[in-house]
Amino acid sequence: MSNLLKGNFTTKKQVEAKKEDNESHSLQDEFKKAALNSIGGSMVYVERTDLTWSGDDE
Amino acid sequence: MQDKNLSVSFQNVVAQITDIGKAWHSSDLLINARFNAQFVLNSIKDLPALDKIKQKNAIVVSAGPSLHKQNVLKQLKESHYQGTIVAIDGSLVKCLKNGIIPDYVLTLDPHPTRMIRWFGDDDFEENTRNDDYFSRQDLDVEFRNNSIRENEENIALINKYAPEIKLIICSSAPKNVVKRVQEAGFQMYWWNPIVDDPQQEQSLTREIYKTNKCPCMNTGGTVGTAAWVFANAILNIPRIALTGMDLGYHLDTPIEMTQTYYELQEFVNSRDELEALFPKFTFPLTGEVFYTDPTYFWYRNNFLQLLEKSVGETFNCSEAGTLFAENLPCKSFNEYIT
Repeated sequence: MSNLLKGNFTTKKQVEAKKEDNESHSLQDEFKKAALNSIGGSMVYVERTDLTWSGDDE
Repeated sequence: MQDKNLSVSFQNVVAQITDIGKAWHSSDLLINARFNAQFVLNSIKDLPALDKIKQKNAIVVSAGPSLHKQNVLKQLKESHYQGTIVAIDGSLVKCLKNGIIPDYVLTLDPHPTRMIRWFGDDDFEENTRNDDYFSRQDLDVEFRNNSIRENEENIALINKYAPEIKLIICSSAPKNVVKRVQEAGFQMYWWNPIVDDPQQEQSLTREIYKTNKCPCMNTGGTVGTAAWVFANAILNIPRIALTGMDLGYHLDTPIEMTQTYYELQEFVNSRDELEALFPKFTFPLTGEVFYTDPTYFWYRNNFLQLLEKSVGETFNCSEAGTLFAENLPCKSFNEYIT
């Protein structure tokens, strides 16, 4: 986008383009963390392993 | 499956819950397991064998809204069912109030202030102050309206029946729950959650296992699924019915009452975007429509993946919700028990 919109003047202050992608990711991350916090400790996580593991191979 | 119409944003959220959640809770799981190791007298390896009748069938009593709406516990009591009953912490008091004493009760969740409620909470007012987790989605109207009195009655009820019940308690249980269930007199059998691949050197599951040497079970992320894994893979019961396992909401439940409503609505720009995070499913037995959210949908996927690795028959007899698939047929509860 910045390559298409070029001005014929120089700004007094440094202007940075919006980092839309980064902001979007950040927002999504925040949402996910907030959602998880809300549902509390019921999140015990699963890798795709067998139903049980007895530790007998130790 | 009715997954084809799910929005991209919804699928992205669901796909990343596993990793974020593990990072979120991994320290709690290990800390609690280390603390609880001193109390481990028996593990699920030490459970006595079931008699022949109880070995044939099991009913898993989860705590979804259908448990109440379909009058499951009243039907169960009147049926004189002789098979095994596996309840969860959230359905225990409901069972006892209906005259049903479960053979086993599962508890899993490490939350430091919320889970104690299921066993009767001596610090109820303190633990529920500034936390509307239950009141926002509470399905037990009696409890919502008379919570302090109901809590007192629950304490007495649990104290009366605990010695007759085998509590299948996860090493992740918080201190206040462990103290409460010890005082109540449950028969306690410990286990560990599988939270990653135990074959890996840096496995958290393996670290948890080392604290107590108890067998590990996959949980699917929710105690209801853990109860089914227990019935299927530990008790080896070949025919299991699920009840109260909705993993979704009735269409007449306002989305404001759902578990992650506040967080979800804060990060969308319109009602349409918000509603895309609550996809709808049509329940095959009745044609009734239910909706789910990212968390319940994640639980649902986990259950169906674990089911593919299991042996034996499982039927969803909840008569409601989003949990169904070709290998998970639905039946009415009455049909299952008769």
